Amino acid sequence: MPDTHAVLRPYQRQLDLIAEMSQEFAASRNIDETLQHGLERVAEFVGAEAASLFLIDEDSGELICRACFGPVDIRGLRLKPGHGIIGRTVAKNVTTIVKDARTDPDFGALIDEKTGFTTESILCAPLSVRDQRLGAIELINKAGGGIFHPGDRQLLQALGASAALAILNARLTAAMVQQERLRRELELAAEIQRGMLPSSIADDSPIMGVNKPAHEVSGDFFDILELPDGRIAFAIGDVSGKGINAALLMAKTSSLFRCLAKFHRRPSKLLSAINDELCETATTGGMFVTMAAGLFDPASGSLLLANAGHEPALLRHRDGRFTATSAGSPPLGIAAGLVPPDMPEAWLTLAGGALYLFTDGLTESRCDKVMLGAQGVRRLIGEMAPRPLAQRLDAIIARLAPEGVPLRDDLTLLIIEDRRPPPLLAKRFDACPECLCDLRHEVEAAARAGGCDAEAAADVVLAVDEACQNIIRHGYAGVGEVVLDIRHVEGTGLVVQLIDFAPPVDVDKIKPRPLDEVRPGGLGTHFILSAMDEVAFVPPPEGAGNMLKMIKAIP
Amino acid sequence: MSMTLTIDRSHGRIAVVALRGEIDLQQSPELRRELMQCLNDRWDVVVDMARVEYIDSSGIASLVEAFQTARRLGIRFSLAAVSSAALRVLKLARLDEVFVIHAATPAALAADA
Repeated sequence: MPDTHAVLRPYQRQLDLIAEMSQEFAASRNIDETLQHGLERVAEFVGAEAASLFLIDEDSGELICRACFGPVDIRGLRLKPGHGIIGRTVAKNVTTIVKDARTDPDFGALIDEKTGFTTESILCAPLSVRDQRLGAIELINKAGGGIFHPGDRQLLQALGASAALAILNARLTAAMVQQERLRRELELAAEIQRGMLPSSIADDSPIMGVNKPAHEVSGDFFDILELPDGRIAFAIGDVSGKGINAALLMAKTSSLFRCLAKFHRRPSKLLSAINDELCETATTGGMFVTMAAGLFDPASGSLLLANAGHEPALLRHRDGRFTATSAGSPPLGIAAGLVPPDMPEAWLTLAGGALYLFTDGLTESRCDKVMLGAQGVRRLIGEMAPRPLAQRLDAIIARLAPEGVPLRDDLTLLIIEDRRPPPLLAKRFDACPECLCDLRHEVEAAARAGGCDAEAAADVVLAVDEACQNIIRHGYAGVGEVVLDIRHVEGTGLVVQLIDFAPPVDVDKIKPRPLDEVRPGGLGTHFILSAMDEVAFVPPPEGAGNMLKMIKAIP
Repeated sequence: MSMTLTIDRSHGRIAVVALRGEIDLQQSPELRRELMQCLNDRWDVVVDMARVEYIDSSGIASLVEAFQTARRLGIRFSLAAVSSAALRVLKLARLDEVFVIHAATPAALAADA
């Protein structure tokens, strides 16, 4: 059996150096320092006059000197890809010994000319891990005028491989640290963003929403803001694009809504103000925001809605019909003035139905691998409609975004529901003189059921009769469709709403006639005003002509 | 219940127009026509409103028009036994002080005789 120690003795010093350097590379916390130290050690060990280590710049492909040893400091020096013996070594990925550099066609004398150094022999080894080329390490001029021998070459090759691994490790670690930092920041951003969504919505709130981001942060938002007068401001928005930039613009837009909604009572003016503010202060870089904002009056079940380029709002009527409302302006954030303060608004009466607002994540989501689409949305809403509001939201989201299935786009849904008790009387009919008799009896029954005594009920009957007469005689000048809704509102009394589709009346011209003037006609309005406690024409729902709201207080 | 209108011309020059039921936009043209007919034929008119269950502004307008016509022609025109439902509406229009209102038809006949 040969003496192993005796066999290894001539290589012992080399092996020790490789072991030491490999350990140092593996444990390195500062790769530049470690490379510099390693280069110095190997140059001293081999006995080279100078040494340098070049790494490929990932952006430019150039070779940049990152460590050097010897009389001239060339750190930071850049070589074009493939340039010089270093470049050739990287390109061919083999270790080379050049006995006389000046006879080598690839030798770039430029460095010598610049530095006054004279290069004679060169030993150059590539830094690579498998096929990934990182750079090269070069030893210059064996001390004492000798030439580099195969032992030097093997040593440099081994150290080069070890160094390359260390460089790659350092890069991966740095990337991981960076990724971890970004992940933590994204988590924080997501947490802050979740905080921007309304959190303290009462269980019995008539407006509820849900936002399910496709990634950590969302470009969608919704908000619900209860105002001191009992009305509720709400909004839904979708920033074009995804990711952090969209999330930041979303944060800005939703903050503007929350702040400005406290001052603007008209959604049109509110959207206009948000647009001007966005255009004045935000560099949106081609991004824009589609947004719908509104003001809901739970007492009357009606709302004002303005839509800046957003998906049409979908009203599901009590009878299951759908009406889409899209009147509005272009999206926000494109140009100041593009969303004028007098942009169109829709007045919607929910009348026991519910309004659905959503982002395109809903229409474009896949249900059984097929895009849901506008019809699919209606089908899904219709299917879920019998469920209570909060459960309905959850059920719709669960259907479109089952746990564990990655979302393609942010998903946001807002539902506004008419939560008032069912009407005492709801009727859509052709108003004509012949139908008034039956109508009066229905109105009387409703008024009595709503808490009116006989006299108050007679007042309500008279007022409804006279109002219908006005519609028949002056609105339509004949038969025409009328929608009547009578309900008891706690704390208010009996609320009567009468909608017609006749041309809008000029409210100023409707005046009760002076009573001392005895003549036929003109009494109706006086009767209505006398019989009821509050009478007003209010903005009618979209498509309707007039809406008369009358209240009979119930003591 | 709709309106029924009967005219009793058995009291000399006086036509007693008895109204019953509900007088609204559908019924008032008939009321107006009948009242005008009596007046044009120079009958004094007593409108018996004891069984009027409902009257609206169009019904009131018919009465006002008849009242004005009678005055122009110098004919007596009065209301009698006005039901509470009808009186409520007359009061609302403050016409209870404009019309001659008798407590009952016999009183009206005696007064007009």
